[in-house]
Amino acid sequence: MTLPKTIHARSRTTEVLIRLLAYLTIVVALVVTLFPIYWIATNSFKYDIDIFAVPPEWLPRNPTLKHYSEAFIQRPFLRYALNSFLVAVGTTIISVTFGTMAGYALARFSYPWQWRKQISFWILSTRMMPPIVSIIPLYLFFNYFDMLNTKSALIVAYTAFNLPFATWMMKSYFQDLPVELEEAAIVDGDTRWGAFLHVALPLARPGLAATAIFCLIISWNEFLLSLIITLTEQSQTLPIGIAGRVTQYNTYWGEISAAGFMACVPIVIFAFIVQKHLVRGLSLGAIKG
Amino acid sequence: MASVTFKNVCKKFGEFVAVNDFNLDIRDKEFLVLLGPSGCGKTTTMRMVAGLEEATFGDIYINEDRVNGVLPKYRDVAMVFQSYALYPHLTVEDNIGYPLKIRKVPPAECKRRIAEVARRVELDSMLSRLPKELSGGQRQRVALARAIVRTPRVFLMDEPLSNLDAKLRTQMRAELKHLQHELQVTTIYVTHDQIEAMTLAHRVAVMNKGVIEQLGTPREIYNDPRTLFVAGFIGSPPMNLIPGEVRDGVFVCGGLRVGGIGRATLSGAVLGVRPEDVHPTDAGDADVNLVAPIYSAELTGENTLVSLRLGGQLMTLRADKNFTGQIDQQIGVKVAADRVFLFNGETKDRVDF
Repeated sequence: MTLPKTIHARSRTTEVLIRLLAYLTIVVALVVTLFPIYWIATNSFKYDIDIFAVPPEWLPRNPTLKHYSEAFIQRPFLRYALNSFLVAVGTTIISVTFGTMAGYALARFSYPWQWRKQISFWILSTRMMPPIVSIIPLYLFFNYFDMLNTKSALIVAYTAFNLPFATWMMKSYFQDLPVELEEAAIVDGDTRWGAFLHVALPLARPGLAATAIFCLIISWNEFLLSLIITLTEQSQTLPIGIAGRVTQYNTYWGEISAAGFMACVPIVIFAFIVQKHLVRGLSLGAIKG
Repeated sequence: MASVTFKNVCKKFGEFVAVNDFNLDIRDKEFLVLLGPSGCGKTTTMRMVAGLEEATFGDIYINEDRVNGVLPKYRDVAMVFQSYALYPHLTVEDNIGYPLKIRKVPPAECKRRIAEVARRVELDSMLSRLPKELSGGQRQRVALARAIVRTPRVFLMDEPLSNLDAKLRTQMRAELKHLQHELQVTTIYVTHDQIEAMTLAHRVAVMNKGVIEQLGTPREIYNDPRTLFVAGFIGSPPMNLIPGEVRDGVFVCGGLRVGGIGRATLSGAVLGVRPEDVHPTDAGDADVNLVAPIYSAELTGENTLVSLRLGGQLMTLRADKNFTGQIDQQIGVKVAADRVFLFNGETKDRVDF
């Protein structure tokens, strides 16, 4: 009797090819995502004339900080950045706080009939229409409450758009946590709120980090609502400020690049800070031996 | 110290009845085991005592206090979960101390009691570790320590040993029994493992489909099973349950004939006899109850389990460890007539004779 050949044995060449293909895919993905950042970064240090040089100037030959001084000293980009920061942080804090509590309630409490499903779906369904649909009602709403051209209007609007996602993300994190941990806390003498605070919340840290990054990026980058709701630099955010440098007579690519590049920085820093909390598996070791 | 009483307790999940008209009186300092197959309602019963589930009907008392609707924190019970449910973000010390911290016990007192309990379960050198850095047995001890650190009125244990390997389980079983004896706290213990039930319990409640089939001491349950279910559930290997009929005081099934049944006739009867009450002899002996070929013979070390084919099923007997019969060899079998049980196949209840 001959032994069957193992079906998993691959030749060395196939092995190498697969590895090569994997690296190639990673390289393509990296180029696609990083090239635009590289391009605005280099452009921000070039003189206007060098930005359009043919063949392209891959690294600035005569580097300059001219565009940075234009954007941040002569024009109010710092003000835009501060607005963006306040709006994004405010939105994130409110969305994560309420999203966490709503997500916990949806994950843990019992509902009659199929209400858990219905409520969850309803919450998500508010995000199914394109945001543009709600622009006119929102405009009228903020006009009525005299909130047009304020940062609080932006926070309210962004929270309305972020909260459904925050709720869903936190709901799925809480559903992944073993319910026995909270039950143990309750039998140990804690209240439901205490079990949430002392046990569920610390264990949902990766979820909190992911949800916070998500909310922060969305509100930091948001353009459409900000364009409609804000009018002056008192409340305009970075995306609007940057877009404002595309004018009737000229497009200031240098300034746009400088401001755009600086706009990436806070998000990257924040992502670095929270990434260690993103690591899953904190709840490993709770269950079984 | 406390007693626990169930009065006509019923628990439904939607249309599904998990526990049905449940009545049980657990005495002070008693070690009571709820034993049954998965889905029989034993864990639900325990969770109702803990306050994690509410009874749909009926009353639950701890001592004289009716605890229906009372928050778990006011019931003063402690529970060991099957999964241990250790808080993964807290150290062993904080895990054990959690119930004390919640009750705002002063830190110094906390520290003293944690140290004392840790010493008792031999964890004193591991207080600063996280649960993920512990072995299965050590996690089990942390869960146990967390339960005993505040001397509750009732201990609830939900299959606490089922995640341990066989050797550790035997050891922890002994430790649990000793601990309960030492602490003298009323304990309700849920398991599907009948060995655990037999070895640990003062009394066993065998549950099936949400009701108690039989309540008694392990010895009563083993020696005097009241229903077909209890007879088949207790014992390893389980009792032989042979369907047949009684004719003129003799039970007949295929080639098996067991006399001395004090009833004239009963069709749809089931004869129950434990493997240790069936003895192999020579096929030629005069008063054998059955002659059949050996289906298999398995040496377990202390004895040999011999299976014989009887009609469509197997009959198991426990023979001496030096038993030498081979597969397909014809042997005779003697059944200890005073150790057989007769059950009504329809009502599943025992028929006394």
